[in-house]
Amino acid sequence: MKSHDLIIVGAGLSGMRAALEGAKAGLDVAVVSKVHPLRSHSCAAQGGINAAINPNDKWEVHAYDTVKGSDFIGDEDAIDLMCREAPGIIHEMDRMGTPFSRNDDGVIAQRPFGGASFDRTCYAADRTGQVLLHTLWERLVHSGIHVYEECHVFRLVLASDGHVAGLVVYDIKTGEIFGLRGKGILLATGGYGRVFLSSTNATTNTGDGMAYAMRAGAPLADLEFVQFHPTGLRTSGILITEGARGEGGYLINAEGERFMGRYAPKKWELASRDVVSRAEQTEILEGRGTNGAIFLDLRHLGRDKIIDKLPQIRHLALDLEGVDPIDAPIPVRPTVHYSMGGIRTDKFGETPVPGLFAAGEAACVSVHGANRLGGNSLLDTIVFGKITGEHACKYVKSAQLRDFPTNAIAEEKDRIQELKSRPNRGLRPAMLHHQMAEAMNTYCGVYREPVGMTTLAEKFPGWRLDYERIHLDDKSTVFNVDLLRAVELRNLLDLGESIVKGALAREESRGAHFRIDFPNRDDVNWRKHTLAFWDEGAQAVRLDQEAVRTVGNPEYAPMVRTY
Amino acid sequence: MTSQTYTFRIQRNMPGQVGTVQSHWQEYKVEAEPNTTILTLLETIKGGQDGTLTFRQSCRSAICGSCAINIGGRTRLACKTHVGAVAKDGVVEISPQKNQPVLRDLAIDIRPFFSRVHGIKPYLQDGPERAGKVTSTAYDQVNHVTQCIMCGCCYSECTMAEVNPKFIGPAALAKAFRFVSDPREGLKTERLQDLASPNGIWSCTRCTLCVDVCPKEVAPMEAIVKLRTRGLNKGINTSAGAKHALAFHTDIKQTGQLNEFTLMMRTLGIVGSLMETGMAIHLAKKGKIPSPFPHSVTGVDELRRMYESLERSPIDVETKAKEAVPE
Repeated sequence: MKSHDLIIVGAGLSGMRAALEGAKAGLDVAVVSKVHPLRSHSCAAQGGINAAINPNDKWEVHAYDTVKGSDFIGDEDAIDLMCREAPGIIHEMDRMGTPFSRNDDGVIAQRPFGGASFDRTCYAADRTGQVLLHTLWERLVHSGIHVYEECHVFRLVLASDGHVAGLVVYDIKTGEIFGLRGKGILLATGGYGRVFLSSTNATTNTGDGMAYAMRAGAPLADLEFVQFHPTGLRTSGILITEGARGEGGYLINAEGERFMGRYAPKKWELASRDVVSRAEQTEILEGRGTNGAIFLDLRHLGRDKIIDKLPQIRHLALDLEGVDPIDAPIPVRPTVHYSMGGIRTDKFGETPVPGLFAAGEAACVSVHGANRLGGNSLLDTIVFGKITGEHACKYVKSAQLRDFPTNAIAEEKDRIQELKSRPNRGLRPAMLHHQMAEAMNTYCGVYREPVGMTTLAEKFPGWRLDYERIHLDDKSTVFNVDLLRAVELRNLLDLGESIVKGALAREESRGAHFRIDFPNRDDVNWRKHTLAFWDEGAQAVRLDQEAVRTVGNPEYAPMVRTY
Repeated sequence: MTSQTYTFRIQRNMPGQVGTVQSHWQEYKVEAEPNTTILTLLETIKGGQDGTLTFRQSCRSAICGSCAINIGGRTRLACKTHVGAVAKDGVVEISPQKNQPVLRDLAIDIRPFFSRVHGIKPYLQDGPERAGKVTSTAYDQVNHVTQCIMCGCCYSECTMAEVNPKFIGPAALAKAFRFVSDPREGLKTERLQDLASPNGIWSCTRCTLCVDVCPKEVAPMEAIVKLRTRGLNKGINTSAGAKHALAFHTDIKQTGQLNEFTLMMRTLGIVGSLMETGMAIHLAKKGKIPSPFPHSVTGVDELRRMYESLERSPIDVETKAKEAVPE
């Protein structure tokens, strides 16, 4: 069986950045990714990456904006660390070859983003994620690190002492199921947007790492905080960057009224994402939308600025909505975008399971708390990719390879064989997925009420039974996407249940989580994280709580969040 | 818009014996509005009719490059192609990318494509040609090419790749141009020398198909032409391709027409020309050997003035931006 010092699962920004730390430390690092690294969802990030690089800005102000944006539930030690590291990370990416947009004087350009008190978002037109991803991939190629491309992880395997032993891996190209031993494992598998029907996420965003970590005993935190992006395209949910509002775009309702002044009189369209999403949803619910959407109006920016600063979103609007933003407003609606929650870690990305680390959207460090500020996710991926990679390398240097329980491979082989041998009747994975995702959107969306959420939570045991009865059309070994979808679906079920149970338990409104029956924030009882564990006996998700990590900075004291 | 029934005629490919693929065509019917994307409909077919139908996809927004397949005779991203725009009499024909080994159905093996990209050393390198400062216009050239998402549409349509599988291909060469144009790259000249090797920049026939099919408007061929110009400007002119181009240049400037009699010798040298003796005899028999003493065409003075004017202020067809590469 092949073994490595450190195995990184996921080849997006955080996974590749972590891998480079391994190369720097001279360790044997491998990356496992179910898609080619350049197909990772990090490429879809458009708007930018925050850092206090302007001499008139301070990392402390960035940190305060983030604490406030998180609705005072982000872990302050991690937020301080991220914002302090941010300028260095930007300059490092620049040296690696990222073509950041520049001001006339040659300095990296920055644009305003929601919830920020300074124009702090560095960018490369409206494809910042793509150029960062390509830059890190270039470094990865340069480093010679081995990537198991188009290989999906089936299971995280622990040794008898509870330490990570490795992974059971499935080669999508050949159907081979094999074990991979590692002294340490770093999960950088991204978010879970596919739990919901309407989402800005790639179809690969099925939260696999989160589900595997939970099944292996690591807690997940704060899954109820699901970020809705204010500008997903009406039909497909595809993202239109916040940069469009940063460049001066307006939100208007069906009556042509620029309505944000009623909800955020100081910041208007550049209020925090949760505030803008609720404002839009209210407009739609009160009948001032059109076919479930309101509009993003860029016409006043003029043709040249749209083509220069927002070329990609113009194409997206044309291709997917049939609207040219030069001539007409784009129909948009709040759409599931980002998972603030994830695998619970300390500020170095370490989980309670020995040898297991997590970074990026898969992790809950937690720098985003209840609501992430735009431009902070790319920063999170690269900063904590680096820090967690560095920390994991230190760890594996003194760790031993554990015995790999080979029955884990046999069990997975049996599971797949059983799935494939079922007769072609009953549900297809896609149908069950659709049922769950649609219900999640309906009952656990921008506004949440208890009856709907209870109904939703009670569906999960039934869906788990249904899952045991799904069948695969595709019995082949080569590129069996049918099988892949089925494996991912079990992960989505685990995460969906964690989301709705967490949302039901949290009897307050904070950040992206808004309860109609508890419309206020409750700092006395709820300034804490929700933890979700997998209960193997009950075959269900069980909850617990944990205090927010604070640093004693008096400026971080909770206050009413206004924009 | 009203919905209608479309017929998807899809090439199904299954791996057979070692190295072979068994193919057949299969038809599916789907109801859709004309502005529905091909990817959405492939998903509809897979989810509702036939779970065995296999294709790659991920972002759904034309930025990850996963879903590049052959649709209606052209390689395109399925996620940004509307069914109404490609259907002919309600029929859409779909097959995998060309010039690549097929794994299964519409999924090709992407490894050969990416190994070519690895071949151009796709990373910024330290060296003496690195500039210290990056001005606001320094990336005017770079930006255009960094739009490439490595979907492989251009490689699939490349007519040179079809006849010469060793050709590095448009995507990898466009990526190379990205580094040659970057003020922070340290080994520009070395790169240009490497790229002038056989199967590199001089192998492109400038058929423009890569420019036509690129879903991100990268225009790889224009990047290749610029690499040639940069190479020649640096005196990298010993390859057959470079000598061929220079011979054209000299002849047109001098007489306004090609001296085809001496063209081969100037391109391939004496030994290389001798190797082509058979072809020359064949041409001579058919009366196709041109005169070794072509006379100047009328109006050649005008032509020379155009040349001089262009040399003074070259047209940058790619970005219309002034090139700013401090070297």
